[in-house]
Amino acid sequence: MSSLFRKFTWWAQRRRKEEELREELQFHLDEETHERQADGVAEDQARWAAHRDLGNVTLVHEDTRTLWTWILLEQLGQDVRYGLRTMFKNRVFTTLAALSLALGIGANTAIYSFMDSILLRSLPVRDPASLVVVKWRSRPFNMAATNGSEFVMHSIDGRTYRDSAGTTAAIFPFPAFERLQQTSAPVLSSVFAYFPAGNVNVMIKGEAELADGEYVSGDFFRGLAVSPAAGRLIIADDDRAGAPPVAVISMGYSQRRFGGAAEAAGQPILINNVAFTVIGVTPSEFFGVDPGAAPDVYLPMRANLLFDSDAARLYLDQNYYWVQMMGRLRPGVRRAQAQAALAGPFEQWVAPTATNDRERANLPVLRLEEGAGGLDSLRRQYSKPLYVLLAMVGLILAIACANTANLLLARAVARNREMAVRLSLGAGRLRVVRQLLTESVLLASLSGGLGILIAVVGIRVLTLLLANGQEGFTLYAELNWHVLGVTLGLSLLCGVLFGLAPAIQSTRPALMPALKDRSVSEPRTSLRGRVPRLSLTQALVVAQIAISLLLLVAAGLFVRTLSNLQSISLGFNRDSVLLFELNAPQAGYPESRVAAFYADLRRRLSEVPGVRDATLSHASLIRAGRAYPITVDGQPTRGTRILYTGPRFFTTMQIPMLRGREIAEGDRQGTLPVAVVSDLFARTNFGDEDPVGRRIEVGGSMRVRGAPVVLEIVGVAATARYGGLKREIPPVVYVAYAQVPSPQLEEMTYALRTDGDPLRYVAAVRQIVREADARVPLTNVKTQAADIDQTINQEIVFARLCSAFAVLALIIACVGLYGTMAYGVARRTSEIGIRMALGARGGSVVWMVLREVCVLAALGLAISVPIALGTSRVIQSFLFDTKPNDPATLAFAVTILLCAALLAGYGPARRASRISPMIALRQD
Amino acid sequence: MVLKPPSRVELLRGTLDLLILRTLLPGPSHGHAIAKHIQRTSEDLLQVETGSLYPALYRLEANGWVAASWEKSEKGKRARYYRITPLGRKQLAREQSKWDAFARAMGLLLKPAAGEGR
Repeated sequence: MSSLFRKFTWWAQRRRKEEELREELQFHLDEETHERQADGVAEDQARWAAHRDLGNVTLVHEDTRTLWTWILLEQLGQDVRYGLRTMFKNRVFTTLAALSLALGIGANTAIYSFMDSILLRSLPVRDPASLVVVKWRSRPFNMAATNGSEFVMHSIDGRTYRDSAGTTAAIFPFPAFERLQQTSAPVLSSVFAYFPAGNVNVMIKGEAELADGEYVSGDFFRGLAVSPAAGRLIIADDDRAGAPPVAVISMGYSQRRFGGAAEAAGQPILINNVAFTVIGVTPSEFFGVDPGAAPDVYLPMRANLLFDSDAARLYLDQNYYWVQMMGRLRPGVRRAQAQAALAGPFEQWVAPTATNDRERANLPVLRLEEGAGGLDSLRRQYSKPLYVLLAMVGLILAIACANTANLLLARAVARNREMAVRLSLGAGRLRVVRQLLTESVLLASLSGGLGILIAVVGIRVLTLLLANGQEGFTLYAELNWHVLGVTLGLSLLCGVLFGLAPAIQSTRPALMPALKDRSVSEPRTSLRGRVPRLSLTQALVVAQIAISLLLLVAAGLFVRTLSNLQSISLGFNRDSVLLFELNAPQAGYPESRVAAFYADLRRRLSEVPGVRDATLSHASLIRAGRAYPITVDGQPTRGTRILYTGPRFFTTMQIPMLRGREIAEGDRQGTLPVAVVSDLFARTNFGDEDPVGRRIEVGGSMRVRGAPVVLEIVGVAATARYGGLKREIPPVVYVAYAQVPSPQLEEMTYALRTDGDPLRYVAAVRQIVREADARVPLTNVKTQAADIDQTINQEIVFARLCSAFAVLALIIACVGLYGTMAYGVARRTSEIGIRMALGARGGSVVWMVLREVCVLAALGLAISVPIALGTSRVIQSFLFDTKPNDPATLAFAVTILLCAALLAGYGPARRASRISPMIALRQD
Repeated sequence: MVLKPPSRVELLRGTLDLLILRTLLPGPSHGHAIAKHIQRTSEDLLQVETGSLYPALYRLEANGWVAASWEKSEKGKRARYYRITPLGRKQLAREQSKWDAFARAMGLLLKPAAGEGR
C-alpha cells in the first residue's frame, strides 16, 4: 500500500526527481574525475575514465526510475505512441485492415441487435418470466368444409398457424376467457384478455388521425404489473357495458398529440366519433404484449359496444374465436403444472360447444406457452430471415478477421529486419512482443470504434430497409451493447491472436541473416515446388475466397428470386399510379351516406389537373383477397375472388376490356347489380361461351334478407394479378361497391393515374380530402409500385443486403489476395530479376504470378463449391422460381470470383514484369 | 569492454544493500563516498559498480531504510547525503545476522575438519 502511495507521490514529482538524479550522478562523475586527477591523470583522460567506470548513464537512469513510476504504464505509453506512428505511416494497410474489421463488427452488431429486440428480449414488465400465453392446439381440419363443420371454431377474427401435425392458435371465444377467469385462481394470479382494434380514428383538438388501438380486459394492466406514467390505467370497473368511456394512451402518443403525459391525462378525445376521456398514460418502455405492434391507444374491451351495437353477441358466441389471453403464474407454480390444472376446465367448457360428432372428435386442447417475450408474431415472421442474415454477417466477420490476420502476418514478415535490429540492440524479447501486441490491439480498437459507428448507421439503414415505407412499422432495434462487447472482443482476440503469432515468430529470427538480407529467412514459395505447400497467408486467402463464393452464390440466388418476382406479369400498369386509403364509416359517416361520399370524392379527384383517371376499390389489387360463395347456373365456382370497385377501374389500372363494358358511374344503388369478370373466370366457368349478359349469384354474408345477390355480367376483362405475387392468379369477379352491400365495406383504396411522378399530387389530394371532410384522415399514401414492392419486401431486403455483403466479401478477399501477391512479388524481386536477366519475357512473368492466383482461387473454389451445393437448401424457402442449386447462379458466382481474383492479382503481376534485372540484382 | 583485474571479487547478489547500510552506520555520506569506502575498506577486493549503486540507494530510500537530503560536501558542492534511519538499523541487524549464519555455514562446508579426506 505504502509503495503504491509512494509511487504516486514520486510519479507526481518525477521531473524534479529526474533532475536530482542527474545532478547526483554528475556530482559522482566530478568527484571521480577529481580523484583521478589527484592521482596524476590528465583531466580529459580522468573524465573519460570516470564515465567508463559509471557505465551506461541512461541505464542507471532507467533502473532508478523503475522505482518511482509504473514502468509498464510508461512503456505502454511509448508503445501506443510508436504504434500510432507506425499506423499513420502505413495508412493503406491501416485503413484496409481497420475498415474490413469494422465492417464485420458493425454488420454483426446491427443484425444481432435486431435479433435481440425481436427474438430474445423480454417484455419490459415486472417478472416477465412468470407470464404465460394461452393457446390451443388441434389436429388438422378444414375450416371451409362444405358438408358440415369439422371444427368448433365456426368463425374467427385473428390468426391460426397450421403445420403438418395440426393447428395452433391463441384466439378464444369470450366465454372461454370467463371460464378460465373463474377456474384459474389456484395456479394463475391473474388472467387477462386483449384483442387488436386495428386502426382507430382519433380526433384530438379538431385533428383527425389514425392510431393503432388495442382492446384490453380490466385485468390487463394489473396482470402485467404496469404502473402508469400519468393518471391511472384501465381497471376492472372500466371494462363493463355502460361504464364511462375511458382510454389509456402510450407515452409516445401522448407526447406526439398532447406534448406530454401530464398534459394528456384527463383530456377528452373522440375515438371513431365517440367521446372518450384519456385517464392515463403507459410508461415509455411499455409497448403492449406484442413486440411486433406498439398500440397508441388502449381501450376497455367492452368499449367496442360503443362503436358497434351488434358487438354484444360476440361476447356470447361460443364458436366465434377472437380474444387473446395471457396469465401470470403464481409464485412456485410451474408452467406445466398450470397447463395440467387448466386443461380440464377448458375441455369441460369446450366439449358442449361442439355441434356435431366430427367437431367432438377433434376438440382443441389448451396449452400454456412461455410469455416472457410477449407474443411471437414477429418471431414467426423474422426469425428465419434474421438467422440467415446473421450467418452471412458471421461469414463476413470471418473474412475480415482472416484479412486482418493476413495483413498482420505480411507486415510482420516485412518488419523482420526491424525486429532483428531491436533485438540485437538489446531489447528484451518480451518487450518486443509486447510492442507488437500493443500495435495489433490498437488496430483492433480502431476497428472497434469504427464498427460502433457502422453498427449505428447499419441499424438505421436496416430499419429503413425492413420498413420500406410502411406506416406503423414497429420494429425498432437499439444498439445492443452486449453484442457490441462480443464483437469487439472478437476483433480484439483476432488482433491479439494474429498480432501474437507473428510477434513470436519474428522475434525468433536468426539475427545475422535477417540483418543482412531480408529475403533469406522466409520460406520458399510453392511456385516451383511440385507439391504446393501453403503458407499461412495463402491458406487464409484460400479461406477468404471460399467464403466469398458462398456469399456470392447466396446473393446470386436472392437476386434471381427478386428479378423473377419483379418480372412477373401483372396484367395492369403499375407505373404512375398513386394509392391511398380512406375510412369514412370509422370517422362517423352513417352507412347511408358512405357510398355517396366515396363517389363524390372520386369525381373531385379526377378533376385535379394532371390526374388522368381516378378510381377506387376495397383494396389495392396486390393486397386484395376476399371470397364469397359464387354460383353460375346453380353450380358453385372454385376459388373465385371478389373485388369491390368504383367506376373506371379498368381504365385507370389499364386492364384491357376483352368484351362488353366496364363498371361506370351509372351503376349505382337501385339499378340492376352488374359484374365484370376476369378472362380466367369466363374461361373456367363458361368455356367458349360469351358470358356477357349471363347471371351469377353471390351468397354467403353478401346475401340480402337471406337471398343471394344476383349479378349480371356486363364485361370481360383481361386476366390481371389479384393478391400476392407468389400466388396463382384466381378467377375474379369485379363488382360495383355502390350496388352491392358489404358488411365489411369500410376502408377504400383510391387509385389515381397521373402524369409524371404520382407523389407530386399528394399535397393536392390531401387538400381535396380535407375540404371534403376533415374528419377523414388519409393513410398509406404511396405509389402502386411501392405497394407491390412492400409485398416482396423480404426478397428485396435479402437481395440488396446479400449483394452488398457479397461485394463486401469479394472486396475484402481481393484485398487479401492483392496483399499476398504484392508481398510475394516484392519478396522475390531478385529471383524474378535473375529470370528476366536470363531471358524471361514480361508475359511469362505475368503468367507466373497469375498462375499462383489461379491455384489459390481454384483451391478456394474446390472447398466452397461442395459446401455451397450442400447448404443452399437452407435458404430454399426464401427463393421463388429458383432452384437452390441453380447452375447458372453458381457459374456466375464462380466467374465473378475468378475475374475479381485475376484483377487483384494483375497489379502485382504487372509490377513483377516491370522489374529491371539490373536493379533487382543490385539489391543483393 | 574493460576487463576487471582478476583479483577483484564479484559482489554477491543482495549484499550491496547490506554493505551500504553498514557504511552509513557511523554517519551520513554521499554516493561517491559510499562507493569509495566500500572499495577501500575491502582492500580493493570489492568493486562497487556505480551502475547498481544508485538504483540500490533509491531502493533503500523507497523502503525507508535510508533518508536523503541535499547538503554541502567538504569541497563546498551540493551533494545528496544519505543517512541510515531507525528502520534501516533494524534491517541492518537482520541482514547482518543472516549473513553471519551464511558465512559460518559456508566456512564449515568449505574448510574440511582435520582428518577428513583421503
